[in-house]
This record gives sequence, C-alpha cells and structure tokens, in this order.
Amino acid sequence: MAGSGKAHLRSDNDVILSVEDITVEFKAAGGKSVKAVSGISLDLIRGETLAIVGESGCGKSTLGKAILQLPRPTSGSVKFDGRELTALPSEELRNVRPAIQMIFQDPVSSLDPRLTIAKVVEEPLAIWNRGDAAERSRKVDELLNSVGLEPEIVRDRRSYEFSGGQCQRISIARALALEPLLLVCDEPVSALDVSVQAQILNLLQDMKERYGLTLIFISHDLAVVKAVSTRIMVMYLGKICEISGPDDLYARPAHHYTHALVGSVPLPDPNAPRNKATIQGEPPSPVDPPSGCRFRTRCPAATDKCAAEEPQLTEVSPGHYVACHHPR
Amino acid sequence: MRKALARLDLFTKVCAGWLSIVVLLAIVGPYLPFTDPRESDIEAMGVGMFSKGHFLGTDSNGYDLLSNVITGTRLSILIAVVSVGVGGLIGSAIGILSAYRRGKFDYIVSLVFNILLSIPNLVLGLALVAILATSADPNEPVSSNRRVFVILISLTIVIIPILGRIARGATLTWTNREFVTAARSMGMRDREIIMKHIVPNVLPSIYAVGFLAVGVVIVAEGSLSLLGVGITDGISWGSMIARVAGEFTYAPHSMYVPVTALALTVIACNQVGDFLRSQLDKREGKI
Amino acid sequence: MTSLLSIHDLHVSFDTPRGLLQAVRGVDLEVPAGTSVGIVGESGSGKTVLSRAAMGLLQGKNVQRTGTVVFDGKELTALPPDEVRNEFGTGMAMIFQDPMTALNPVRRIGSQISEGLRVRLGLSRADAMKRSAELLALVRIPDPQGMLRKFPNQLSGGMRQRVMIAIAIACNPKLLFADEPTTALDVTVQAQILELLSELRAELGMSMVLVTHDLGVVANHTDIVTVMYAGLVVEQAPTRRLFANMKMPYTEALMKSIPRLDQPSGGRMPMIAGRLPDPTAPEPGCPFAPRCPYVVDKCRSSVPPLVSDGDGHSYRCWLPLGGGI
Repeated sequence: MAGSGKAHLRSDNDVILSVEDITVEFKAAGGKSVKAVSGISLDLIRGETLAIVGESGCGKSTLGKAILQLPRPTSGSVKFDGRELTALPSEELRNVRPAIQMIFQDPVSSLDPRLTIAKVVEEPLAIWNRGDAAERSRKVDELLNSVGLEPEIVRDRRSYEFSGGQCQRISIARALALEPLLLVCDEPVSALDVSVQAQILNLLQDMKERYGLTLIFISHDLAVVKAVSTRIMVMYLGKICEISGPDDLYARPAHHYTHALVGSVPLPDPNAPRNKATIQGEPPSPVDPPSGCRFRTRCPAATDKCAAEEPQLTEVSPGHYVACHHPR
Repeated sequence: MRKALARLDLFTKVCAGWLSIVVLLAIVGPYLPFTDPRESDIEAMGVGMFSKGHFLGTDSNGYDLLSNVITGTRLSILIAVVSVGVGGLIGSAIGILSAYRRGKFDYIVSLVFNILLSIPNLVLGLALVAILATSADPNEPVSSNRRVFVILISLTIVIIPILGRIARGATLTWTNREFVTAARSMGMRDREIIMKHIVPNVLPSIYAVGFLAVGVVIVAEGSLSLLGVGITDGISWGSMIARVAGEFTYAPHSMYVPVTALALTVIACNQVGDFLRSQLDKREGKI
Repeated sequence: MTSLLSIHDLHVSFDTPRGLLQAVRGVDLEVPAGTSVGIVGESGSGKTVLSRAAMGLLQGKNVQRTGTVVFDGKELTALPPDEVRNEFGTGMAMIFQDPMTALNPVRRIGSQISEGLRVRLGLSRADAMKRSAELLALVRIPDPQGMLRKFPNQLSGGMRQRVMIAIAIACNPKLLFADEPTTALDVTVQAQILELLSELRAELGMSMVLVTHDLGVVANHTDIVTVMYAGLVVEQAPTRRLFANMKMPYTEALMKSIPRLDQPSGGRMPMIAGRLPDPTAPEPGCPFAPRCPYVVDKCRSSVPPLVSDGDGHSYRCWLPLGGGI
C-alpha cells in the first residue's frame, strides 16, 4: 500500500496540522538506509483524535517524532498552525514547540529521577519564563490537581517513588503546562497495567475537553485505539494502509492487513468464534521492502499488479480511504 | 546525606576516616611540630620503630620517618587530587559533549580515548614525563618545580581518558532516556539539557570512579619516583621509597613506613569509591 | 479427573530492603491432566512468582516458601533441589515472556535446543541435532536445517518465541508453564503463537498453565481461569462459566475496564479507581476493598475465605455478585 496518496487530505479551515509526503530515513548497519516512514501524508482538524496504529517496525513512533521535528524528517512538509516547520531555523522552531507537546511510552524514563515532581512539572514554565516563581508554583498545583494527584503529597517526591500510572499522570501534567494545541501520545498506556489503562485514557479524554486539545494517539493496541479516537490510520512498514472512522474500520475493514489485525485481537468472550490467525509469517525487513504494495508478500489477495504498482489511497466510502488494488 | 552516612558499614567508615586524616595532614602537615624531615640525626641512624625521639624510627641516613611521611603526604596527595581533579574535569567535559553530540566528533574522541587507554598507565606516564621533562641543556638538571609540574601534566593526561570514558558511557545511557526527548520537545536548548539533566545524573558515576583514580595516581607517582623520573628532591611517599630502595636490608622499616602509608590510602580510596559505586547501582536499580 | 499439578496453601515471601514482600499469600491451585489453566492478574498479583515457585525456580537466601506442590504424584516441595531439577524438561517446562533475553545470545539455536535432549534424554550429538530440526518443524519454522545454525539476534521476536517453545517441548514435558508468552509480541504474531500452542497441546497431550494479564487470551485458549489479586486467588472457574457468571467484583471491574473491539467507540470507559496493591504492605481485609464499588465494613476488616459452589467455581468475596451459594 502507499502513503503517497493525498485523497484523504481535507481542505477544512480548521486543519491545524498538514503533513505531506513525509519521509524519514535512517542509516542501518552495513551502510544501508532504511525508510522508516515513506511518503506519508495526513492532516488533523482541531479537536480530533487521530490514532496511528500498527505493529512494531511500521514507523508510527518515528512518524510522531518527525512531526515534532525530533529529528527533522529527511523530506516532506509539516505545516502546523499555518507555518512550515521543516523550513524554520532552530530558534524559530523552538518558539513553536510550546504548542506541540508529547507524552511517551515509558512513564518512569520520561521523568528525570533527580528532580522533584514540582520541578519536573514546573520546568516547561521555567524554560519559557511564564510568570514568577509564585505563579508557577500555583500553576503546578493546578496541573497536578487536574491530573488527579494531590499536590501536597506529590510535590516533593521523586519519580521513582511512584507507580507507572502516577508517573504517566505527571507526564501529562507537564505536557499541559504550556497549554499546547496538539498533544502527541506515543503508546501512553502500553506500559501500564490493564486496570490503570482505563484511568489514563479517561484522563486524556478529560484533558482534551478541558484544554481544547487535538490529539495524535500512537498505539499498537487496536482495542485501546478504538475507544479513544475519532479517526484511525493503519500503518505497515512505513506506509499507510487505511484511514477511516473507528466504527467503520472495525466493522468493514477494507484493507487485508487491517482485516488480519482486527481478526488477530482475542476477544474476551469465550463464546465468540475462535479466529484462526489470519496471516502467517512476519513483516519483511524494512531495509529491503517488497516492490509495489509492501503487504503483498503476506496478502491472500495479492496479484501481479500488486508487485508492479504501488497502490494509492482511494475513497471506498465517505471518509474511508484505503490503499489497495483489491480492497475487500 | 545524613541517611547516606548512616548506611556506611564499619570498614567504609574507617576508610573514610583514614582519608580525612590523610587530607588533613596534607594541608597542615608541614606546620606540625615534628622534627625537620631534612635534618639528619647522626646519632640515630637506622633506628627501629618506637625509638626515643623517633616514633617510626629513622632511615639509614638518620632522617626521621614519621616527619618525612607526614611531609610527603602533601606532595603525594596534591599530585593525586590535582591530576584527578583537572583530568576528570577535562575528560568528563569531552566525554559528555562527545556522547551527547554523537557523529564524527564522538567517533574521533572514542578513538583517541581507546588508544590512550590501551597503553598501560605507567608506561604512558613514563613516556609523557620523558617527553616533557627533557631540558634543552643536558648538563643542567631539571628544576624541582618543573619536575612536579611535569608529573602533574603527565598524570592528568593519563586520567583524562579514564574518566572521559566513564562520563561518555554514562551520558550515552542518560541521553537515551525519554525525559531528554521530552526536554527537547519543550524547547530546552542543548546546553541547558546537558547542564540541568545530563550532568547531575552522570556526576555520581564520575566521582565514584574518581576515588578509584586517586588511588591509581598515588601508586603511579610512587612508581615513577621509584623509577627515578618522579619526585627526586622533593619529599613524597614515592621519593621516600626511592631513597631507601638501595639500603633496604639495613633498615627495612624505612621502606615499610611509606609503603604502608601508600597502601592504606589506596585501599581506603578503593573502598570509598566502591561504596559510592554500589550506591549508584542501587539507585539505578530503582530506575 | 486426576490432578497433574496440585498446589496447596503456597506462601512465598521475599526479604527486601523495603520490608517483607508477600508475593503469594496462600494459594491453592489444581491443574487437571490434559487441561489448560489460565492465571490472570496484574502487577503485584503474584502470578509470576506462583508459577516460578511451582517449578521450584525460586532459590536464594531471601526467599521464604511454605506450602506444598505435588506434581505427577511427587511432592516437589519435600525434595532436594537436584531432584526437583530432574523434573525440568521432562515433567515440567517453562516459556518466558521476553524472547530477547530468554535465549543465550552467543550460542547457536541448534546447540540450545539439543542441549536439553543430550542432558535429559542422553541422545548423541548427531541424534540431538536431527531431533532439533524435527522440533523446529513442529513449531512451524520454515527451513529448520538453516535455523539450527543461526544465532538468536538474527531472528525476529516471533521466531525466537517459537524456538523457545521448541526448547521447552524438546523432552515431551507433561506440563508447560507459559509466562506471558505473547505479551512482548505483535498482535498478529501473538495469534500465531497462541494457535501453535493449542495445536501442540493437542498433538502432544500436554497440559498448560498460561499466565497472562490479557482476558482475551484467556477467554479463547484456556479451559479453567484463575484470577489472582495481591497474592491471593480471588476467583476460579471453568472459562465459559467465569465470563458468563462472575462472582468477584474485581473480575467484573477488570472485564468492564478493558477496551474491546466489539464495543462502540468514543466516550468514557468504566474504570477501577485507586492503585494496585503494594506487596510489602498488604491490606488487613479483602485486598480489593480499597477499590471495590460494593465494599462494606466487613470487607475491610477480614479477608474473605475462598468458597466453592461445589461445581468448580470458587470465589473470595463476602458479597459475591449474583448472591452466594
């Protein structure tokens, strides 16, 4: 499937992020180069939650970081709030940073173990000189309260004294300190216990409503993603397979990979029919991806056309786009 | 800090105590009312320990061993502390910057560090002293101060890659933590990130190994002096050993005294450094 | 049905600098021959410690263990460690969560598989290699001969897990402990591995203890489910019955709070408030009391006993859902 389709881009006035033809290339061992992200385009309307879903090696984390220019993508354009980020010199890029924030997968590693929690949450305010010390302290307390932590108990402790779920709350508090427009969440609940995941997901929803955020939610967990997102993008080996609203995606997956993904997730219902593993084999190496459609080596519907020509994203139903020569 | 002190076991406490005494003597030693170390007591040459007037005895030339060893503390410790301090500072700075930046600079720095580290400390020290201490006029001996200076420089250079590699390794670990990416995403400048996030986390590893390095330098100074290229006319533990090396059989305690002082100090340094390292492992374990 | 594995009143605690860590606080477990028993729990539930203790893998000065473990008629807890080790491979085998670290990175695959065969079954090197290739084919690895010569770092996660399974079944164990075998894998690979395990169980007549946090995995691949919380078994039942008729509020809360593909999207999710239990500071009463929506005073003061309805369904709750027996 291809990412170089732009059929799915919208021309709404409320588009705050517009990514076109972005490519991120790394040097792998042996001098070869790997395109972790290969010609992807996407856009975000204010207030959306876009989920980027895929298995390991598909490039979703790299895509998230590339949007933040950490590091800058090898090629392509990233327009945020009207400004072209890839062309901005470092100082000006720095000025844009408060508007796009990120939370990460490993809650404990996201916090500097030497700092007190108060200092951790205050840091972004200190970097940008927002208010004096007293005002910053008040803001820190306010943020801690809004993520469900009691400031008096939490302020003077350090990250290693807290559980994964609490550390993630602290990360969220820190990310919200600068009142960003866009929050990129890179696998934010993957490292947490199941019963804590729901707490954090609900917290993100609450914060989104309260602060008017737009979210990008990166995950490998389809069920989690379905619960929180308004639009889902499925990636495979650096390219986009399918983009759709959540209900449509799960009820009528048009791409064979999406279908296999959905079928592989075990439902917690012993009476549901046992899904046979719908695809075999493993993803090919990203150093040497298959020609044409990258999924063809494992696809039950692959034909010669799939090897010769890279599919482009086309609309199969309103708001539902798929990059496949023979969609389901 | 208090909690940390309470966790020390007895042996570490004793070692820390010994080091404190040594440092104290290094500072005030020469002002204490002991016999002049350069004054030879003709009547009491080569007397054993606990003799009258000479608590640790004298060597075969009549020099009082106690006052010599105390005076020698100053030079030995000075050389060790300065070379580890300056070498550590330079090495850590290079190591941290190179690991943070990566790329060609890091490659070259690693290469240089590894080359220097592959040469045994003593051989490297010897070579550097030989290069730096040569005076233009072969008839004129090198001045004592210049000697000390040369040894300081040489041992500093020996220490730079040792602590530099530690700093580099620690920095590589810490820059991969997500809070560094988070700091960048908040718009923190690289310089701030290094000073506020990397250095405080890397520092404990450096000073843990720093203590071990002090031990290494004390022994190196001793070895260089014994080989005749270290301190020759000043008084240090090494020079004491060198002076009596030839007449060891006549007054063996004259060798034991400086050697014991040296050995005890090195053991103490190793123990304290090891303790600090184990504290580090505990902290890493939490994270 | 005869029990292949019988665990009775197992307590496991660790002496740590932070205090006594009570990982397992009195667990009874039966694994009937020919079944697959799932153990479900989160961090601090004790499920991993339980399976390691049952296999006799926990040793060390700071481990305190009481209770009995009877495997295939032999009381393992009464035997010296050497004799317990004789059961490894031939009686019980284990596969672990992280395929990256479970294999020795400096030895070839063939050597790692054949080691067990040579030590346990006394096969010659040539025979062991031949058998290793057969095992690799059994776990559906393409090109088994080529795989024998490879090193672990040349394999993907799914492949490594298959190799680990091959090592585990090499000596035809009667019981396989699978400790979170698919947690570190992608979901498509997870489905393949679970299917493989089911097929192997049928082909080799092996029983399995599947330790996981994933209720979906448990729903589709186990005959009996045991739910653990804070070192105690809080509910146990045949799988279908558990999902249809939960009695313990924790099980219900867990079920409700996980996102599901067959649920409508958007909106808030039901969640369990509070934090997971701290094994160094166990609650005086029911371990779930601080977070239970139905809690009453009795719950906080005394630990409910595990009661059984006589038909294979046991639960630990003063106020079970749907009424008690």
